[in-house]
Amino acid sequence: MKNEDELVEEVLRGDDDSFENLLCPYRQGMLSMACRMSGDWEEAKEICQEAVIKVFKHLHKFKKGKSFKSWLYSIVVNSAYDLLRRKKRYQGLIEGQKSLMLSSGSDPEKLLIDKEAKAKIDFCLQSLSPKEKAVFLLRDGEGFSVKEASEVLGCSSMSVRTHLSRARQKIREQFEKIYPAPESEVKA
Amino acid sequence: MNCKRTQRLLPLLVGSELPQSRISAVKAHLERCRKCRIEYDAYLLSLEKTKEWLEEVRQDWNEREWQEALRRATGKKEPKALSLAPWPFKKAWAYAMMAVFAFLLSLFLIRPSFIKQKMEPETGAIAGLKQEPEKMRKESQQDIISMTLVSHETGLRIVWFFNKNFELEVKE
Repeated sequence: MKNEDELVEEVLRGDDDSFENLLCPYRQGMLSMACRMSGDWEEAKEICQEAVIKVFKHLHKFKKGKSFKSWLYSIVVNSAYDLLRRKKRYQGLIEGQKSLMLSSGSDPEKLLIDKEAKAKIDFCLQSLSPKEKAVFLLRDGEGFSVKEASEVLGCSSMSVRTHLSRARQKIREQFEKIYPAPESEVKA
Repeated sequence: MNCKRTQRLLPLLVGSELPQSRISAVKAHLERCRKCRIEYDAYLLSLEKTKEWLEEVRQDWNEREWQEALRRATGKKEPKALSLAPWPFKKAWAYAMMAVFAFLLSLFLIRPSFIKQKMEPETGAIAGLKQEPEKMRKESQQDIISMTLVSHETGLRIVWFFNKNFELEVKE
């Protein structure tokens, strides 16, 4: 089994089959990440397509010995930001989140009836800012370490911890809207 | 450690992102404080459930779409599917055969006129060259030359005949 640096070398020498071998372990992860970031399946594919093109185009810039996974995910996250920015979705997302929060607040049973995990995860993630969402998805969704997440997002480990803490607080609040805590526990 | 400080650190404790020194201090507080323990359990549950849902909604690429994405990135062309149609019915073959047929037809239809056009000046020149001595021979063979004089006023015609030495000959 070839390591990632060797595969990168082969791709740079013109072996396109090695490119698939290089990306194959992350194909599911990057798609899930993009899907959760954008909240839309089709947009996620668009983000990943753009990311794959960027990876191939800028592979010569990848530094040997560094984590390819972190480099790849940083491209995916940035592509997601780009797409969201391009489509001016930030504002739309916030408004969408507000409306969803209001609707769920008025009718939490509706969400309880909807057993689909997608609806639940969407509900939990909707209150997060793009950065918080990225940190949370990298750490808790993809299993990145704090250091790796900081490499992906180009920020300090402290910043990752701060965003992660905030993201988990918000998720917990959302989670309690779906599964309210028992009265006895609230009183305690 | 007080409740406020502990609760601020709980989101990181559930994901094991706290340094060891702080973990022991927070855990010591949790053993004493029931309220903070409930908070900790709530964080733990929400995180576990969210991770579970994230795994459930994890989706993979459709193989065809994945290959298409790679192809677009590497710039490879899509391999064409093999056609099972026999060769005379394939489009490429049909076009090639039509081209050959048109070429052969053009050989028969266009070639003769083309040759004629191209060869005409050559044959004319050759013919001219060939004709010239013959003409001269014919001329040399001519015995009598006639000259006709016509008067405009009276319409009188006088015909003179000369032999090959240009001597006037009288003819009836």
